[in-house]
Amino acid sequence: MESPMWGNGIFKKKNKEDSIFATLKKVPIFSDLKPKELAEVEKIVHQRRYKKNETIIHAGDPGLGMYIIVNGSVEVVEEDEKAGKRTLAKLSDGSFFGDMALLDEDPRSASAIALVDSDIMGFFRPDFLDLIYRKPKLGIKVLLALARIIGERLRHTNELLVKIQERKDTHRNG
Amino acid sequence: MDSYAFQLYSQILKIFWCVLLIIIAIAFIVFAFPYIKDVLIMLIIAWLLAMLLSPLVNFLEHKGLGRSWAILIVMILIFAIVGVLFILLIPRIIRTVEVVISKLQSDVITEYSLKIENFFEKNFNNAELARNVTATLNELGIKLLGSLGEFFKSVGSFLASMVIIPFITFFLIKDSRRFKRAFISHVPNRYFELSLNILHKIGNQVGNYIQGQATDALIVGMLSILGLFIINLAFHGPIPYFVLIGMFAGLANLIPYLGPVFGAVPALIIAMLNNPPNLGLVLLWIVIVFIIVQLIDNVFISPMVVSKSVNMHPLTVAVAVIIGGNVAGAMGMLFAVPLTGIIKVSSSQVIWGIKNYELRHPSRVGENLSKKNKQ
Repeated sequence: MESPMWGNGIFKKKNKEDSIFATLKKVPIFSDLKPKELAEVEKIVHQRRYKKNETIIHAGDPGLGMYIIVNGSVEVVEEDEKAGKRTLAKLSDGSFFGDMALLDEDPRSASAIALVDSDIMGFFRPDFLDLIYRKPKLGIKVLLALARIIGERLRHTNELLVKIQERKDTHRNG
Repeated sequence: MDSYAFQLYSQILKIFWCVLLIIIAIAFIVFAFPYIKDVLIMLIIAWLLAMLLSPLVNFLEHKGLGRSWAILIVMILIFAIVGVLFILLIPRIIRTVEVVISKLQSDVITEYSLKIENFFEKNFNNAELARNVTATLNELGIKLLGSLGEFFKSVGSFLASMVIIPFITFFLIKDSRRFKRAFISHVPNRYFELSLNILHKIGNQVGNYIQGQATDALIVGMLSILGLFIINLAFHGPIPYFVLIGMFAGLANLIPYLGPVFGAVPALIIAMLNNPPNLGLVLLWIVIVFIIVQLIDNVFISPMVVSKSVNMHPLTVAVAVIIGGNVAGAMGMLFAVPLTGIIKVSSSQVIWGIKNYELRHPSRVGENLSKKNKQ
């Protein structure tokens, strides 16, 4: 992985840059952005490499931001002392997790572990807030997309709740 | 059991290398410090300036200016400030101090010496004691002012070699994110979020602290200038160089507890040397002005602009000022307390991070998963 300090912009590998751009473009939060705006986002994301079975985020740690899988595979797990470990999701290239932490510092609700050696990008709240202040138009675009995703999730949760309630009522009525 | 012994051995080896590395780093710093002291002071000043000016760059960027343009404008501002300081203020301060020293060495000091001698002769009937006291006071005064003059001369030469500081500041502002990313890219994954979070929090708090201190110093300086200006109007100008004295009072205010006293002393000395007809009243008004400025500062300004988390015990302040003085003279005394404040803020954030992140079980979940995979 290239160091941002010693890396030379002129000789940077074009295809790697393209793959970061392509990955960012796939993420719904950034899908509406123009190439110039994506370049601004690219400046503030952190690129990391995680080995197989390495923990990316711990449940209970303060939330700091979201992660995007450039290539690799990640398992999101919930650990409970009584029930043990429960897999919530398995994510692959282009998927993202931890996006709620872009809004507040509440503890992480689940852990994420790399299933294979994975390249991951991190987009963090302090940089996001700084971006909103420095480039309000771009910040609002990202914020609006984030609100849309959370809204969709809430709608989906509501639908599930209604279904569960209906099932409960049917069960009670016989 | 064997595997446990191997794990213990590797842990001990890791700790041994860490301790060895820390000892080598400390030894290097102690050995190299005299050679890198000047560079370090320049870097610290540039960093403080960058912290102070970054919000301005961000504000200009927020208003729609490109980052490069914003930095360029701020850069020109830095050059203008440094230029004004260099051309106007420093030679004037040196001249003032020299005038004060020459006055002390001539007529005024003789006059005060005679007054003190008479007082001792009348009350204690001991002329020799009086002469000893005045001689000691005279020596002390000249020594103190001499060192003050040297301080400003050293600041002058420092400023002369400081064309480089604006450049360092420029790159610190321009590439701050790049430097941060570069630093964080070398942090192991298990400490990555912790380090990033702590770094951001320290950056925010230290930035707020430095900006707060600078605002506080600016307001105290302006209030002091205003107070001294009113005294000059009322008593027909008994305090020349009141603008410089007010600025010095603002700077001295960076040192809690001792700063206000340091700030008032030059005004008192200058007034005494000028020897106006109603000296007693003028001195009283100077003391009143500085007390009022301190009251305004403590009641209204400080609580609003300076973070409460940086409140320091008087003993801490005294120790910091002594160490600062030993390391970098008068400049060190001035910056010792802000730097201690920065260290205090940073360490509290590190402690917060260690408490809130699961450092004791860094790869608990991952370990469990790998165990499961092996099964």
